[in-house]
Amino acid sequence: MNHNPQSSDGKHDDDSTLSDFLGSLMDYTPTIPDELVEHYLAKSGFQCPDVRLIRLVAVATQKFVAEVASDALQHCKARQAAVVKDKRDKQQKDKRLILTMDDLSKSLREYGVNVKHQEYFADSPSTGMDPASRDE
Amino acid sequence: MNDGGLHNRKEQEKSQKQSKPSKFRSKSDDFALAIAKVAIAQVCESVGFQGSQHSALETLSDIIVRYIYSVGKTANFNANLAGRAEANVFDVIQGLEELGSGLGFAGGSDFDRCVANSVIARDIIHFIGDADDIPFAYDVPRFPLVKEWKEMESLWGKGEQPPGEHIPSWLPAFPDPDTYAARLSVGNETNSISSGEKTELARVERKMERSLLNLQQRFARNGNEGGSSNYGGYAGRARVASESNPYLAAPLHFGEKEVEVSPVVLPAKLSNEVALRNPVPENCDMGNRVSVLETFAPAIEGMTSGLCDLDNGQKKVVYNQSVHFKIGIGKKSFGTAPYFNSQNEDLEKIASWFRNDNEKDDKKRKAEKILKESIESSQKPTQL
Repeated sequence: MNHNPQSSDGKHDDDSTLSDFLGSLMDYTPTIPDELVEHYLAKSGFQCPDVRLIRLVAVATQKFVAEVASDALQHCKARQAAVVKDKRDKQQKDKRLILTMDDLSKSLREYGVNVKHQEYFADSPSTGMDPASRDE
Repeated sequence: MNDGGLHNRKEQEKSQKQSKPSKFRSKSDDFALAIAKVAIAQVCESVGFQGSQHSALETLSDIIVRYIYSVGKTANFNANLAGRAEANVFDVIQGLEELGSGLGFAGGSDFDRCVANSVIARDIIHFIGDADDIPFAYDVPRFPLVKEWKEMESLWGKGEQPPGEHIPSWLPAFPDPDTYAARLSVGNETNSISSGEKTELARVERKMERSLLNLQQRFARNGNEGGSSNYGGYAGRARVASESNPYLAAPLHFGEKEVEVSPVVLPAKLSNEVALRNPVPENCDMGNRVSVLETFAPAIEGMTSGLCDLDNGQKKVVYNQSVHFKIGIGKKSFGTAPYFNSQNEDLEKIASWFRNDNEKDDKKRKAEKILKESIESSQKPTQL
C-alpha cells in the first residue's frame, strides 16, 4: 500500500518515459528497413497498425546485431593481437577485419545460438587417406 | 568402410532435404533474405568490420530473420494471452525480455517490475542515443505485392447471363461460340465433301478460315492484353488484314488445300529425298496431326510424283505445305502461316483426293505420313 502513491507517480513517469521513447523512435531511422521487419512480423502473426512498434522491433534487432558483431570483432582483434606477437609483418598485412564463421560462432554461443560450421568438405570417405590403405 | 560411407551420405542427404524446406529458406523468401543480408552488412560495417565471409553473413542474416520472427511470435502470444488480437508496446517489450533472458538483464529477478520501466527499453534508448543514424542502402518497396483480382474475367463481371442454371456466375466466361461451334459444323459437312461440290467446299473452307483466324487472333490478343473485349470488330479487321498480308491469313485446316508456288532451289528437294530414306518421327502433337496427315495422304503421293516431273528445266518447284494449328504452349510460335496463294484448279485436285481417300490402305497411309513428317522436318528452318 505504501507503494501506491509512489507507484502512481512512477507510473506517470514510466508512461511519459515510454511515450517519449516511442516518440524518439520515430526520429531515428533504423538500418533494418521497416518493410523487412513488417514482412517477418506478419509471417509470425503479429498484427499491429502502429508504425512505432515496428520501429521498436527494428531497433531492438539492430541492437542485437550490433552486439553480436561487436563481440565477433573483439574475438577477431584478439586473434590478430595474438598472431602479431609472433610475426611483426602481419600487422601491416592483416589490418582488414573480416567477419569469419569462427568468430561469429564463438560470439553467438554466448547468446544461446549454436552455429556449427563444417571444417572441410571431402569428395568421398577415403579422400586424403594413404593410397595403400584405401579400399578400392 | 564403403558401405558405412554410403550410409552416412544418405543420412546427410536426408537431413539436408528435411532442413531445406524451412520457412526461412524457401524460394519465396529469397528477396527478404537478400534485403536482410544488405542491412546486416551495413550494421557490421558500422560496428567496425571491413569485410565478411559469405557464409558468415548468410548465417547471421538467417539468425536475425529468425530473431524478428520469434519477437513477433512472442508478442502475438502475449497479446492473445491478454485477450487481445492486436499487440501492444508492452507485449513487444515482454517479448524482448523473454528473448534476452538467456543473457539476463538487470532487474530480471524482481517480482514487481513494471514493463514500462524495463531495462530493455532503457538499453534501447541508450543505443539510439549512441549509434549513428545509418539508413538502409536501397529503396525497398512494399512486399509481397498484392495483385488485384481482375473482375472482368468472370461472367458476373462481364454482365452476361450464365447459359444454364447450374453454372455459377463467378466462373470465368465462356469463349466465343465461333471458336467451338465451327468445329461441330465441320463434322457434319465432311460427309458432303465427298460428293465433290466445289462451291460447298469453298464455303466450308472460308467459314473454317474465318473461325480459326478469329481464334488465333484471340489467343494472340489474350496473350498480349490478358482481357477479352469487343470481338466482332477485331475479327473484321483481322479479315481485312489477312487479305492484304498473307502472313496473317488463316492457317490451313483439314479439308483445305493451298498450294504454294515459290522459287525454292533444287537442293531442298534433294534433301527431301534424302530425308525420305531416314524418316524422323515427331513427338509433339501427334493427335492433332494424324487426322490432317491422313487427309493429305493422297496429296503427298501426287506431290512426290509431281516433283519428279517438274525436275528438269524448271526453276520453280511446286510442293504442298500443310500448317498444323497448335493450341497451347510450344517452343515455336503458334499460328505461323507460310506464304500461300489459293488457286481454283487446286480445289478440284482436293476434291478428287478426298474421293479416293476411303480407298487407301492403312500401310500406304502410314508410309505417306512418314513422308510428310520428314518433309516438314526438313522444311522447318525455312518456315517462320
